[in-house]
Amino acid sequence: MFCPQCGASNADTAAICVQCGRNLQPGAPAVPTPAGVVIPPGAPAVNIPNYLVFAILTTVLCCLPAGIPAIVYAAQVNSKLQMGDVAGAQASSNNAKMWCWIAFGLGLASIGIWIVLMLIGAIGSLRQH
Amino acid sequence: MRVIATIRSRRAMLAGLFSASAGLVLLRFYDPASSGLFPPCPLHYFTGLYCPGCGSLRALHQLLLGNWHTAWAMNPLTCVLLPFLIYGLASEVWLWVRGRALPQIFIPGACIYGLCAVIVLFGILRNLPVYPFDLLAPGAMLRL
Repeated sequence: MFCPQCGASNADTAAICVQCGRNLQPGAPAVPTPAGVVIPPGAPAVNIPNYLVFAILTTVLCCLPAGIPAIVYAAQVNSKLQMGDVAGAQASSNNAKMWCWIAFGLGLASIGIWIVLMLIGAIGSLRQH
Repeated sequence: MRVIATIRSRRAMLAGLFSASAGLVLLRFYDPASSGLFPPCPLHYFTGLYCPGCGSLRALHQLLLGNWHTAWAMNPLTCVLLPFLIYGLASEVWLWVRGRALPQIFIPGACIYGLCAVIVLFGILRNLPVYPFDLLAPGAMLRL
């Protein structure tokens, strides 16, 4: 089951949400939106993470196109929330998270390959001397 | 269950904070443009094309030195997005430390699609060898 407050995935038998601690038992009162969060009229009251910050970070810093689908899924999360499609928004949220990790992993892999290439180059130049 | 999840996320958060600060310290003292310490953009390395993020490390290095003019020439998109990214990351850290996020405005999905289009368009335009778009290539504005 997904937490109705923060959208985190929980075991179906969980009593409280692993992420935000909300009571997940049926019939539990909904926790009001935390103070300070501005919700414009028409926006949904549920908070499902769209990972937009991480999507942009991986796009700008990892230099690989995998960040673009992450941003598109982040946009889907918010458009679906606006339409009241909470389940769809949660699915897009999971996809956004997955693509953030793919972009991050590709970035890490390219750093790793770069380090290996540098080491090979250093050893090669040592042998020449 | 909750305790395990908290420990795991705490470790992940500490690892993230540690590597981010280590990266920033390296960026402060080594210029990605000349040191060879930082990996080049794979897209640019293999194709010669600039991606929307090309020059972002050089821009961050120049910002850490206080040269905002050079930073802007390296990657104007990164300079524009940086304040929002810093606020978003600060909100994540605040959520971790204090259990609540910083105040945030709900961004309509259409605005995020627009941002995505701007990023892709920026990536295309900075590869065009035509004035004034060629100024968007990393460092091109420094040659004015």
